[in-house]
Formats: sequence, C-alpha cells, structure tokens
Amino acid sequence: MKFMNPLKGAVRVFLTSLIIVAILALIIFIVIKLIPVPPVREIESAISAISDASVRQAPVYSKKLFSEAEAAYDSAMTRWKKENKKFIFFRDYKEVAEYAKLSQKKANEAARNSELSSIELETRIKEKINSLRKICTKIDTNFGRYPLHDNQWSRFSKGKLLLQEGEIAFSKNQLLTANIKITDAENLILEVYQNATAELKNYFNSYPAWKKWYETSVAQSAKNNSYLILVDKFARKCYLYYNGKKKYEFEVELGKNWAGDKRRMGDKATPEGKYEVVRKYQGRETAYYKSLAISYPNSEDIARFKSEIAGGSLPPSSKIGGGIEIHGGGGKGVDWTDGCVALTNADMDKLFPLIKTGTPVTIVGSLRSLDEIMNFENE
Amino acid sequence: MKSKILTGFAITVMVAFLSSCGKVPQAQIDQANSAIDSARAAQADVYLPADFAALQDSMRAVNAYIEGQKSKLFKNYGPVKEDLTKVVTLARTVSENAAVKKEEVKKEVETLMTDIKNVIQENNKLFPRAPRGKEGAAVLEQMKTEMGTIDAAVTEAQGMYDQGKYMDALNKIKAAKESADNINNELKEAIKKVGGRI
Repeated sequence: MKFMNPLKGAVRVFLTSLIIVAILALIIFIVIKLIPVPPVREIESAISAISDASVRQAPVYSKKLFSEAEAAYDSAMTRWKKENKKFIFFRDYKEVAEYAKLSQKKANEAARNSELSSIELETRIKEKINSLRKICTKIDTNFGRYPLHDNQWSRFSKGKLLLQEGEIAFSKNQLLTANIKITDAENLILEVYQNATAELKNYFNSYPAWKKWYETSVAQSAKNNSYLILVDKFARKCYLYYNGKKKYEFEVELGKNWAGDKRRMGDKATPEGKYEVVRKYQGRETAYYKSLAISYPNSEDIARFKSEIAGGSLPPSSKIGGGIEIHGGGGKGVDWTDGCVALTNADMDKLFPLIKTGTPVTIVGSLRSLDEIMNFENE
Repeated sequence: MKSKILTGFAITVMVAFLSSCGKVPQAQIDQANSAIDSARAAQADVYLPADFAALQDSMRAVNAYIEGQKSKLFKNYGPVKEDLTKVVTLARTVSENAAVKKEEVKKEVETLMTDIKNVIQENNKLFPRAPRGKEGAAVLEQMKTEMGTIDAAVTEAQGMYDQGKYMDALNKIKAAKESADNINNELKEAIKKVGGRI
C-alpha cells in the first residue's frame, strides 16, 4: 500500500481551490463588466442643475428653457424605467444619459437666462416706475384743471392705482406680476398723457395770435397811458396794466370748458380776443358782487361764428351768446362760470374802481408758450 | 446531516435578507407621491414656491436612487426607505405651512377689506368738510374720481377673494388701501389747515 504524502495533497487542494476561486472571480468580473453602467451621475447632475435653476427662479423668468429641462429629465427617467424592465445584460442607458445631459444643459441655460432676465426686468421695471411717476406728476401739474373728458380722469386714476399695485408687487420681488401691472398702468397713463398733450398742442396753435394780442395791447397801454386788463386763461391770472406796466395780479376762475375759444352760447367757454369794458355793475345790478361787462362778441367772433354756421360745424339754430363779464364771487377753487372771468370779491374791490368803460380787455389762452409750460424740449 | 440543515437555514436567511432589501418600496413611494399631491392641492406651489421646489427635488433624488438600484444586480432599497419617510414628512410640513401662509394672506386681505371700507366711509364724511378755496374744489373733484376707482378696485379684490385668489386680492387691496389712506391724509390736512377738527 502506497501512502500519499499529506503535504502534497494539501498543496493540490489549495491549488485546486485557488484555480476555482480565480475562475469564479473571472466569471464574476466578466458578468459585472457585461452589466451596463446606469447613468446615475448624469441623472444626479441633471437633478442638481434643475434644483439650482429653480432656486434662481427659472420657472418664473426662464419658463420655456426650464420646462424643456424638466421635459428632458422626465424623458430620461421614462427611458431609464423602460430599460430597467429589460433583462440586465440587454439594457442600454445611452439615450437615458443623453437626455440627462440635455436636461442639465437646458437647466443651466435656464438658470443663467433667469438671472439675466430678472436683472434686466428689475431694471426695466424700476425705470418704468420712475418714468410713469414723472408723467403722473406732469399730468397732475399741467392738466389738473384742464377740462379733459371725465373718462380720461377716470382712466388716469385707474392707471395710477395699477402703478401702485405694480410697485407693491415689485417691492415683494414679484417681478412678472409687477411687469404686467405696470405695463397696464403705462398703457392707461400714457394714453391720457398723449391725448391731453395732443389736445393742448392743438389749443396752443393759437399761441402766436395770443402773443400778438398781448404785445399790441401792452404797447397801446403804454402809448395811451391807460389801463389794460389782461387775462391769461392757462395761468388763471388776471393782470392789471397801467402805462404798459403790470400793476396788479389776481387769481381767476373761468368757464367749465375754458380750454378753447368761445364758439356759441352755452358752450361754457371763456372767449379769447381783444375786447373792452362796456358796462359796470354793482350792488343789486349784478348777482356777482361787482362786474365789468365786456364787448363779447367782437367783429372777429361774429365773423367766425357765421363762418362756422355756414360751414356746418355749428348747427344753424346756434346762437353766439353774450353777457361775458369779469365779476366777483370767485375763490371757489374750480372753473365754474358759464364763460365769465371770476375774481374774489376782495380783488374786485381793488379792480373795479380803477376801470372805466372803454378800458381794453385782452383775453389770451396763455402768455407762456407750450414748451415753457410742458418742458417738451427736455423730453 | 447537521451541516446540511445549517447550510439550508443560512441560504434561507440570505434569500430572505436579499429579497427584503431588493424589493421596491412601492407603498412608500405611493405615499410620498400622494403627500406631494396633497401639498400641491394645498397650493404650496403658490404660497411656498421655494419649499415646494425643494420637495420636488427630494422626490426626484429618491426616484433617481430607485432607478439606480433597479439597474444593479444586487439591489438595496434600504436607505431610500428612510428618504421616502423624510419626503412624506417634508411634504406634510410644506402642506401645513402652505395652509398657514394661505390663511395668513386670507386674514390680511380680510383685515385690509375691513380697514379700507372704514377709510372710504371716513373719506365720504370728510369730503363735505374739506375747504373748497383756491384749487381746493378741483383737487376734491380729482379725489372723488380716485375714490370711484378705489371702490371699483375693492369690488375687484372682493371677487378675487371669493375665488380664493388671495395673493392677487392682497396686492390689489393693498394698493387701493394706500390710495384711500393718501386721500384720507390729504383731506385731514386740508381740514386742519382751515382750523377744522378731525
């Protein structure tokens, strides 16, 4: 009987085991190598990019790109789920990784775009707010007593409220809401401003004539050593000149529809032109404390009235009107007369004794040009 | 014989262990999704957009992890169960906070509604007492037009409130209240100037 060397046997067992382990390790290695690697890193990067874009408010300020990033991410996940349902060795994650990378790219773009858009929007809104506030002040200052249509004031008021709403949204960093409100406000405010300015420009077409009337009237006052009553409707002032020099200045109130020359009876406009005092009333003779009736209509008013009737711009039944006076009862703070010029009773007390019948009265739309008033040249 | 029994037991334990870790926690995923839907229903995306976005990010990470595990030979869903529990908790917190925020906004709108109605009433009483001297009446006319616009804004805000659009109603009513307050202050100032008592 031959005995096996125990050491030799152990070596053989060891070597056999080693070979088996090595073969097994090789098989496992090959199997692992054959399993496709899932695009975990790409997906994680996409999630991180979407999260970052979201923090930078891309869903608000870069909505389209952000939606595209989300859609690409969803596509990646859908495809990943689909691939995972296949047998492990037959999976292919290439498309998943591509969609994940696309999602990351779009999300990064959305984040950058959002930052730029929000900064740009913020700047734009700030500028718009400042500009609209200035326009509101201009409207209040220049048109506060201008007879704009009621609906224009109501639109202006709506515009101001929307502007305020926009400013509140802006202060809360709700830039999109602010932008919508301020754009709506801008439409209303600019519309009112443009309409009012156009009306005013149209009115001021007569400025050269007003200037001429003023110059000739003052020159005449200087030449004749006489009094002159000069009314500036836009400034709501009545000046008393003597010997070509201004002596007194009074506040006045006019007809409700003062902007424009008087065309007919009942239009509540204060006439413009060169007139003279034709009669003085006081006490029971007048309902307005003291009054100076003027020579409206003058020959030019009559000619224009006739021409308007003939041209059809006034109905044939229209009357030219009359009874225009400079009278007391003023100080109400609004334009309330039917076309007369109202002073306070105290001012009438100063003016009345100095004026005789025949004193020239010149009524102009404005002594200052529209550019001076509105500062158009600075716009 | 004894060793065979032990081996069999060990294999059973191993299989049980591996199968428990390798099973997608579908019930918890459904619970998390449902909690996120509840947060959306509570308008967390409107009242707490940042928190809601963070919640969505968490769920995205969980989904990515789950798919990652599904892609592996040996799956381990153990850690994600904890994450899902966190998502559910976070979603509930976000829902609750959104409800609180919504209620706060609603209350603020209600308070402003009451306040503005009082200011409008006071303004209506102050108008006849305001001086109508130089420029005064013209300014009063403008104020009245503005009050008309404010009334319309209050009606509009009330409509938004009735529709549950509290955020929109809040901005509108705040702007209207500021305007009404400005008018109130101007009226009081004007009355004081002529020696009237407020």
